[in-house]
Amino acid sequence: MNDFPLAPETPLGSPAPFWFILFFKTLGFTLHMIPMHIWFAGTVLIALFSLFGSAHARLLAHRMINALPILIALGINFGIVPLLFIQVSYYPVVYPANILIGWYWFAVIPLLIVAYYGVYYYAVQVRRNKVTARGVFCGVISSLAFLAIGYIFANNFSLMTNEPQMMAAYNRTAVGGAVTGTALNTGDPTLLPRWLMMFGLALTTAAVYILVDTVFLAKRETEEYRAWAAKFAFLLHTVGLVWFAAMGSWYLFGALSPELRQTAQSSVGVLFGLTAVAPGLVWLCMLLGRSRASDGRIALAAAAAQVVVLALNAVSRQWLQNVELARFFDPAKMRVETQWSPMIAFLVLFVLGLGVVGWMLWQLALALKPQPAMASSSGGSPKPRKR
Amino acid sequence: MHYPFWYVPGLTSPMLIALIAVFHVLVSSYAVGGGLFLAMEVRYAHRTGNKEYLAYLKQHTWFFVLLTVAYGAITGVGIWWTIGLASPLPTEFLIHTFVFGWAMEYVFFVLEIVAAFIFYYAWDRLKPRVHEQIGWIYGISAWISLVIITAVTSFMLNPGNWQNNFWLAVLNPQTIPQILARTGASLLLATLYVFLHSSFRANNASVRTLIAQRSSRPAMLGAALILLGGLGWLLTVPESARAALTGAAALNIMAVTIFLLTVVVLFMFYYGPYKNPSWVSSGFAILLFVLGVIVTAEGEFVREAVRKPFVIYNEVYSHNVLKNEVPTLQQTGFLNGGVWTRHYITQRFPEIKTAEGKIDNARLATLPQDSQVEVGHTIFQYHCGSCHASSGYSGMKEILRGWDAPMLEKLVLNLDRYHYFMPPWSGTPEEAKMLTRYLETLTSPHPMETAGGRSSGVQSAASAR
Ligand code: HEC
Repeated sequence: MNDFPLAPETPLGSPAPFWFILFFKTLGFTLHMIPMHIWFAGTVLIALFSLFGSAHARLLAHRMINALPILIALGINFGIVPLLFIQVSYYPVVYPANILIGWYWFAVIPLLIVAYYGVYYYAVQVRRNKVTARGVFCGVISSLAFLAIGYIFANNFSLMTNEPQMMAAYNRTAVGGAVTGTALNTGDPTLLPRWLMMFGLALTTAAVYILVDTVFLAKRETEEYRAWAAKFAFLLHTVGLVWFAAMGSWYLFGALSPELRQTAQSSVGVLFGLTAVAPGLVWLCMLLGRSRASDGRIALAAAAAQVVVLALNAVSRQWLQNVELARFFDPAKMRVETQWSPMIAFLVLFVLGLGVVGWMLWQLALALKPQPAMASSSGGSPKPRKR
Repeated sequence: MHYPFWYVPGLTSPMLIALIAVFHVLVSSYAVGGGLFLAMEVRYAHRTGNKEYLAYLKQHTWFFVLLTVAYGAITGVGIWWTIGLASPLPTEFLIHTFVFGWAMEYVFFVLEIVAAFIFYYAWDRLKPRVHEQIGWIYGISAWISLVIITAVTSFMLNPGNWQNNFWLAVLNPQTIPQILARTGASLLLATLYVFLHSSFRANNASVRTLIAQRSSRPAMLGAALILLGGLGWLLTVPESARAALTGAAALNIMAVTIFLLTVVVLFMFYYGPYKNPSWVSSGFAILLFVLGVIVTAEGEFVREAVRKPFVIYNEVYSHNVLKNEVPTLQQTGFLNGGVWTRHYITQRFPEIKTAEGKIDNARLATLPQDSQVEVGHTIFQYHCGSCHASSGYSGMKEILRGWDAPMLEKLVLNLDRYHYFMPPWSGTPEEAKMLTRYLETLTSPHPMETAGGRSSGVQSAASAR
């Protein structure tokens, strides 16, 4: 089918070669996934633990929510890069998909504001050590808002590559040829596994985060808590992995069209194989880390391996997106008019920016280093937590 | 046209942009001005060893981070989100012009966030000098992000002779005036936030006096910059925008109020907090704040309105059509020019589809009357729907009281002559007839007439209801 009403090519041409766009889109998405996973799975955990958890579980919830305002602010910004570059090369399919689900897409903004301030409210209560039912309620609302946002994203990105579904959505919601912006991609069998698969992967990232937090940042908590948290991280990772595998299989073998699966397997089976196997490596790290709540090397190895897992995922997704689109749209064929000097200016600023961030983190580390007089706390006796 | 049109009943989709933009600018200006204020004042408090002031500043930073870091980022992304929905073609155009500008801005956003959180959470741990430095990293990054985004918004109003070049686009005739005005607005608004916050939160009278005196200076500087930038803005605005500004009553009233209110605020600051710091009560702070909000909202409204009929001056029209597409559309048809309109109409009315899958303009008039109205409705959605709701905001039902078919057809064919706010008619004469058929169904008798008036338009409208 080639009668999809594709927008004509922009007269301006693409400002960068296609490989450049793809590189930054996948890099940006990988960076975005790290914090995004922590809040996507994290707020659900926090809500459940605050409502039903043991003392340790509630402490974990409080530790996580404390970090979320920063992680969310950073993660939203990290999302800017992939969102920018997807519009550069994929605009003929991105905008129609956005517009077809217009009101839902628009709703992401208020939902995000609600989610963020729900988290913030709860975090402030935790910091002041005055958690009330209202704070917990805000946490629950935030987790629901994030789940809804994830669902809207899954709709958008599954719709964008699915030409027949886009046309069906258009025909369903057209008013005099314009659209009401009330369509969802519910008729697409890949929608649910896509959304749930991301949640499974998010559970594994959140698990790695918990291990890292326990090993490096929770030195002031009791030994019992840290032992519990390391074990829990392993458990959570296992659940996440099983979930991810189940949803991934549903997606690949139950929802994706057979031709697409065929193309995927024949051309880059290796990539998909790696993507499927890599989380196992992290799982081994988590298994080792489960009884070593103070072993920094294992936690670091788990974190590094998880970043690789996320990068592989981003690459596989990108690859699949291109294959799906190839049925009616090929972004690689667009005319390129590279804007060299702005591109170089950006790359230079990017490196300088990283340098400045590094300097600030270094200053922070210096400032937070325990004074020599109180450095003995690494031993056994549990110190009261700083509020 | 190039994209499906998002039909938002009663309001028109671009109004959602204006809504989010106002919410965004009110906070993002504070994010810039407040950052500079905090860097400056923390330095002052450290130098003078003023512990009480420092304690207040920490309290203020909490409020500042709470409001700006996430809300500012979310609503900023939100504008971009919404323009993609409501004005996809201009967005596509801007993305391909400024992608690296936005990529650079992203670097500064990340710096802002990291700096803001460290500035607050390590307040008592950092050495004073490092603390100040991180404050400045925040303030300067925030200001640079203002500069970058202002380059884009100023480009939209007057790209100048940019020759498809990024740097010329960034340095357009409007850039410097707009940067001056926006920087001024940031300084002014930040002071209003500081007054508002301190009048409720600073318990210590000497701290309040200090704040009143010290922060009225950037506010006065800000007001002066707004006036200066505003003048530069007027001098470099394209002719059509100046015509809009002087021609439309609502707009020139707004422009004059912005100017006058800024002068009033300047004097209020001078005789109020600067000379008589004890005047700053919560009532005074609220009054100033409300004035600031009005000026800002009006400024945004004027900025959006005077660009009409363009979204990007001389390049892209509000009805999602490139300027250089118009002659072709007038030859081969508006509906044929848009991939979605062509798809919709040829599917709906296969009898007027040509062998090449196009719409045969000559056969439009052979369609039954109510099909013609339908075709006209589609043209209305795509050609007029960005600025006019059929009923509601700038609503056709409300505007078209007492209009008849000949008047309507003349208007459609001479759209930009009737009002320079409107783009030129971008279709064939046959399509103009179809649109007229549709518009006729929206007419109603002149308010001064009794029902069942004189013209065919009024009659058909009456019978349609
Ligand atoms: C760029 C935005 C824009 C577009 C597109 C646009 N208009 Fe307008 N139109 C305006 C503005 C602004 C006014 C004047 C303000 C008002 O009266 O609301 C106006 C005024 C009018 C009027 C009243 C004219 C008068 O003399 O009082 C009519 C009728 C009208 N438009 C019809 C249309 C039709 C039909 C279309 C589509 C073919 C259209 N407009 C497209 C912005 C637009």
